[in-house]
Amino acid sequence: MLVALAGNPNTGKSTIFNALTGMKQHVGNWPGVTVEKKEGDCIINGKKVHVVDLPGTYSLSAYSPEELITRNFILEENPDVIVDIVDASNLERNLYLFTELLELTPKIILVLNMFDEAQKKYNIDVHKMRQILGIPIIPTVGIKGKGIESLKQAILNSKKFTPPKIEYPEDIERRISIIEKKLRKENFERARWYAIKLLENDAEVIKKIGSQNREIVHLSEHLRHEIEDIYGDDIESVMASVRYSFAHGLFHEVAAPINVGGVTITDMLDHVLTHKYFGIPIFIAIMYLAFQFVFLVAAPFQDGLDFIFNGKNGVPGLVDISYSWMSSFMPAWLASLINHGMLRGLGAVLTFMPVIMLLFLILSFLEDSGYLARVAFLMDSIMKKMGLEGRGVIPLMLGFGCNVPAIMATRTLKDENERKLSIALNPLIPCGARIQVFAFLSYIFFPHNAAVVLWSLLMLSIAVVFVLGFVYSKTVLKGRTEPFVLELPPYRMPTLKGISIHMWEKSEGFLRKAGTIIIGAAAIIWFFAALPWGVEYGSEQSYIGMLASFLAPLGTHFGLTPDAIISLFFGFFAKEVVIDVLYVLYGSKEAIALAMSPLQAYSFMLFLLFYTPCVATLATIYDETKNKKFTLLVILQGFALAMLFSFAFYTIGSLMGVGT
Amino acid sequence: MKLSELNPGEYGIIKEVLGRGTVHRRLLSMGLLPGAIIRVVRTSPLGDPVEYELRGFFISLRKQEASYIIVDRVVPLSMIPSGTDVQVIFIDGGVGFIRNMGTMGIAVGKKVHVTKRCCPMIIRTELGDFTLGRGMAYRIFVR
Repeated sequence: MLVALAGNPNTGKSTIFNALTGMKQHVGNWPGVTVEKKEGDCIINGKKVHVVDLPGTYSLSAYSPEELITRNFILEENPDVIVDIVDASNLERNLYLFTELLELTPKIILVLNMFDEAQKKYNIDVHKMRQILGIPIIPTVGIKGKGIESLKQAILNSKKFTPPKIEYPEDIERRISIIEKKLRKENFERARWYAIKLLENDAEVIKKIGSQNREIVHLSEHLRHEIEDIYGDDIESVMASVRYSFAHGLFHEVAAPINVGGVTITDMLDHVLTHKYFGIPIFIAIMYLAFQFVFLVAAPFQDGLDFIFNGKNGVPGLVDISYSWMSSFMPAWLASLINHGMLRGLGAVLTFMPVIMLLFLILSFLEDSGYLARVAFLMDSIMKKMGLEGRGVIPLMLGFGCNVPAIMATRTLKDENERKLSIALNPLIPCGARIQVFAFLSYIFFPHNAAVVLWSLLMLSIAVVFVLGFVYSKTVLKGRTEPFVLELPPYRMPTLKGISIHMWEKSEGFLRKAGTIIIGAAAIIWFFAALPWGVEYGSEQSYIGMLASFLAPLGTHFGLTPDAIISLFFGFFAKEVVIDVLYVLYGSKEAIALAMSPLQAYSFMLFLLFYTPCVATLATIYDETKNKKFTLLVILQGFALAMLFSFAFYTIGSLMGVGT
Repeated sequence: MKLSELNPGEYGIIKEVLGRGTVHRRLLSMGLLPGAIIRVVRTSPLGDPVEYELRGFFISLRKQEASYIIVDRVVPLSMIPSGTDVQVIFIDGGVGFIRNMGTMGIAVGKKVHVTKRCCPMIIRTELGDFTLGRGMAYRIFVR
């Protein structure tokens, strides 16, 4: 049995989905688009039911990928029943999609979610609603699991119901039936729906029917103009008005308002959180605290994992222990590849996990509580200048923590170009690992001005992101085609279950997909650092060392010493490793400080700020875009900026004779 | 007037949604349709976008999009001061509510005189003097 969940965004659809499927779910993408596809199984009375969560949409026109997916899924997969989940506390607007679904299929169950909240606003006469609509109507409170059992039984007992037809005014109905008859003659199924869509000037349907029968399309075009003449309005407004008046009528038929006006919690919170003067400072403070929380909680886990894998202060880690054990029964090079290459790679992936999971925790909290929409509202005017909508600020801010979850968070952006723009800019934001390296290096090389140096790098990266965003959005990634209509849902306390499922889904996805790529890359790095066999790992005699000496003459233009180049190679793997490499090469802070002039050191940091994103980030970019060319362009963009800034700085500095 | 010209706290009734294609259809599917009542809630700290209330939910629109929407300014009857004559423009409710109001002479196009604003509200229509609850007066839009 196949069941599809449909509904508006912010209706608690995923809560219902989680309640039905539990942890038995699979998350992927709909073919060809980056819209998330969630499916899972649910056992009802011993019968297996496959549940697909359709993307949240407001209507079923053919304009956004979400709408097309929902529509085509119902048309093509013909699910046994559609469960339309509506936010009962916002019934009228939610019923609009319901009317559209009703036109598409009579196999439909209506779920009145958040029923408890709704009852504070109006009395909903569920019994009357059932009588009018002739379909099962299930009140639920998703977050408390109320009504889920009734929903399951309703799904199991579902059949072709006999809901009322959405009636259009006589002069439209007459024209619909003319087209409908023609379609029936040609043996089209769902003839009424196609007839309505043809009249409505639906691009997809016109293309589909037109490829088989031009005549019907011409006829419907003619009839459409007649309707527009009669109503003196465009067809879309006319048809939408009819559906809305059905929704409006139904709503007022079954819901009696209890109390109009009065101040809600959302009102009070918005009064403060979107306040004219305090709104933005509060947002910045919330993000600051969130980051403090992430790093405070993640640090011990990261240190612990690092200790387990790599050891510390002479205590051997898992990598060394396992290496000496394995080399007793297999060739040393193989043991080294497995341990120094891949196991260490696995360690690097795992040490990422605490930060990634916590950043996802923050993101889920912001999303589920409704605050994310307010952030979009607050920041839209600033973000618009760099070609993004308000929500675009979140991935950029998460980027300061780790670019991996930040890039995964760009999914909140609906417009494809905005999403690409946001992904391209994100690696230029210095992540926690790079900030850590910069803090360390500025302290070593500029002990008296460390803070200023660090600050200058942060400011530079923000400026570059802004300028590039502005330039890209005016040229190669021209902005949105859809208007920015953002719903500001009521604030809701996120549930622990909802947040943890979301967090786990994302983190597990990263571990599985990016993890393999990272471990593969770790093996390649090992190959360059450990061969030819017998040289000291990562030394000048290894391939990496040779490559570095080969690149050394080029490096001098950018103020890069051969050792700096070696550290950059390893930094590709994980940026924080740069410090370790310099330590291994020089042995102490003092020695590192003497290895580069201040001018070279700052040029090195400029290079490190922009050059290629680390393996994990690249793996994520590829995974999110499935576009090799785009991923390659992001690397090139990084190197171009790194070379531009370090060359300019080093050349000008040398000419002026500063810090040499 | 354009929706973008209304100030926070003011109400409008949508007359027309201009434009074609995606922008147009997106606005329609969110319920921004002729005849709908819309209230300006607040402006974003940086002046754009603006938050609106419509059909009991809240949305944010950029000024550019709001300028596609043509509205007439209206006021809920509950906010009309004592001693004012107004004309009913829209009654927000189902068939039953509209019928009830009709028995008091409150119908679209009719003139109403507010004798006393509060509390309760006393009005004079062509059918006589009536008292109105705040909740009811809030759902009758006048000009």
